Amino acid sequence: MPRTTTVECPGCPPIRVLTFDVLGLVKVVEARAKQGGVPKVVERWGEPDTSRHVLAASINDSKFDPLLAVARKSGVTEVLNPINGDLRGLVPSVCQSDVQPEDDAIVGLHLFKKQISDSSSSSGNIVCSKVDGSENYALFGGKGVEANVWDLDKCTKIWTAKSPPKNSLGIFTPTWFTSATFISKDDHRKFVTGTNNHQVRLYDISAQRRPVMSFDFRETTIKAVAEDLDGQTVYIGNGSGDLASVDMRTGIQYCQHVLT
Amino acid sequence: MAVKRKKSNTGDMIVPCGKEDSNSTEKKSNGKEHLLPSMIKNKEKRSAVHAQLKHQKKLEKRKKAKAREADEKRALEIGEEPPPRKIPRTIENTREFDETICKPDDEELFAGNDGDEFSSILKHESTSKILITTCRFNSTRGPAFISELLSVIPNAHYYKRGTYDLKKIVEYATNKDFTSIIVVHTNRREPDALLVIGLPDGPTAHFKLSKLVLRKDIKNHGNPTSHQPELVLTNFTTRLGHRIGRLIQSLFPQDPNFRGRQVVTFHNQRDFIFFRHHRYIFESKESKQSDSKATKGKDTMDEKSAQEKTVARLQECGPRFTLKLISLQQGTFDTKGGEYEWVHKPEMDTSRRRFFL
Repeated sequence: MPRTTTVECPGCPPIRVLTFDVLGLVKVVEARAKQGGVPKVVERWGEPDTSRHVLAASINDSKFDPLLAVARKSGVTEVLNPINGDLRGLVPSVCQSDVQPEDDAIVGLHLFKKQISDSSSSSGNIVCSKVDGSENYALFGGKGVEANVWDLDKCTKIWTAKSPPKNSLGIFTPTWFTSATFISKDDHRKFVTGTNNHQVRLYDISAQRRPVMSFDFRETTIKAVAEDLDGQTVYIGNGSGDLASVDMRTGIQYCQHVLT
Repeated sequence: MAVKRKKSNTGDMIVPCGKEDSNSTEKKSNGKEHLLPSMIKNKEKRSAVHAQLKHQKKLEKRKKAKAREADEKRALEIGEEPPPRKIPRTIENTREFDETICKPDDEELFAGNDGDEFSSILKHESTSKILITTCRFNSTRGPAFISELLSVIPNAHYYKRGTYDLKKIVEYATNKDFTSIIVVHTNRREPDALLVIGLPDGPTAHFKLSKLVLRKDIKNHGNPTSHQPELVLTNFTTRLGHRIGRLIQSLFPQDPNFRGRQVVTFHNQRDFIFFRHHRYIFESKESKQSDSKATKGKDTMDEKSAQEKTVARLQECGPRFTLKLISLQQGTFDTKGGEYEWVHKPEMDTSRRRFFL
């Protein structure tokens, strides 16, 4: 079952996708034709082995030295070359399995160390985190942990979210963020999060602490949120296998794909 | 009088239509647009034409069948090969192409099996221990069904539900080393759903239960013994079906006691899983000679009639029910926050020839 997917910027083939799964395989899927041809698995790296279960991955897509870091269940983080899958280096990681390595390997390590101190200080579990394009700010959220934004240079928390007020029935849903992403690579102030309660929320640091916009998406927990390159569209995926793309300015759903 | 009038009316009407039909048989063979019963607006005439069409079709079918039988008999008498039997078209034959059907040389499948949640039981490393419980309100057929389940599944224990939360029950069971939990859900005093939760972090399968027949309602039923039964799982072809098959397999102990001569069958057909529990016995039967139809000079027939055949006789015991998978969720019971591997949605029923297990 595929766990994480990273999409590379379209270079020679129109769309090139790297998927990682429970068996520790890295597969490259490409769609050759212009107008959405049938994607095919082009390459497959690694042998199937469940101890190498991939937990998280992140890509640093620079022009001259692209790196792909893959964190596996066995506690080892591998750095691969995303073009042909060669192993570049190994980083034995100390911390627990929830972590997501970020862009640069060095920054990733930095974040690892910080993760430990964070989770010891805050009272909940951190489930999702994201670093923005310029690598100065990081965003964390989790179960019982409100969305926070940290400044990486100074290692201080600069902003915390506040949960929306009680709804009309007087029911208060506990906070549980399952995924988060900055809405565009340059702007560290706006970000979108998905909650366990099938809600998608847009926050703006410069505006207010409550979410600027929030809407419901189907009935199960939001498992993945990803931003589009244009800075407006956001793709969401939930626990029942449904995908949708939403315009964050207006909140209108562009299209929806329900798993059948 | 009224009845007679009706008969005469229909008699009048059939005759002209019949003439039209005989003229237009060629046109009919080209396309059936000439006279469809649905084109006649008058209900009496339309039903009469339809009945006549059906009668004709039935006669033709019987004629064809007789011709086929005559051909076969003639070929056998002459000694030639009888013409090959045609294969009837069934929904299973015309099933839609499914890319998730397991292929025999799929190494990813085997690697996945090695590492999945059931592998420790299926590799004989640990034995299965089942906890059976019910929903909060349990009455009438529920307890009877559970007592029969306890006799079918070895090493199963029943605990009363009380008012415990299901997530707490999962915790208690993991602490006490159970390998799976079965929750029998009752609706309107009749068991109608089965929730199978693998432990410690196994998948949760939600089945719909129907057509339950208890042991006392089966005629000439047998009584199960305490021997461990053999397990037969048939027709689980797709990846999802394979996973469900392994889930069911992990409920039973992996070392059957063949001397007990008991077999539990889970047969999947069109996404319905049929559960049967039989005791079997092998008997040798002498087949009788068929003198009336055999002609002289048929050595093969005489030889066969002298041989003995061993047949297996089955006696059904235990309950009989059907299951249908509603959803398969990864992880233990968590409907709101869990990720679903497969959930049935009405949009999936796009065609009558599409099945998922």
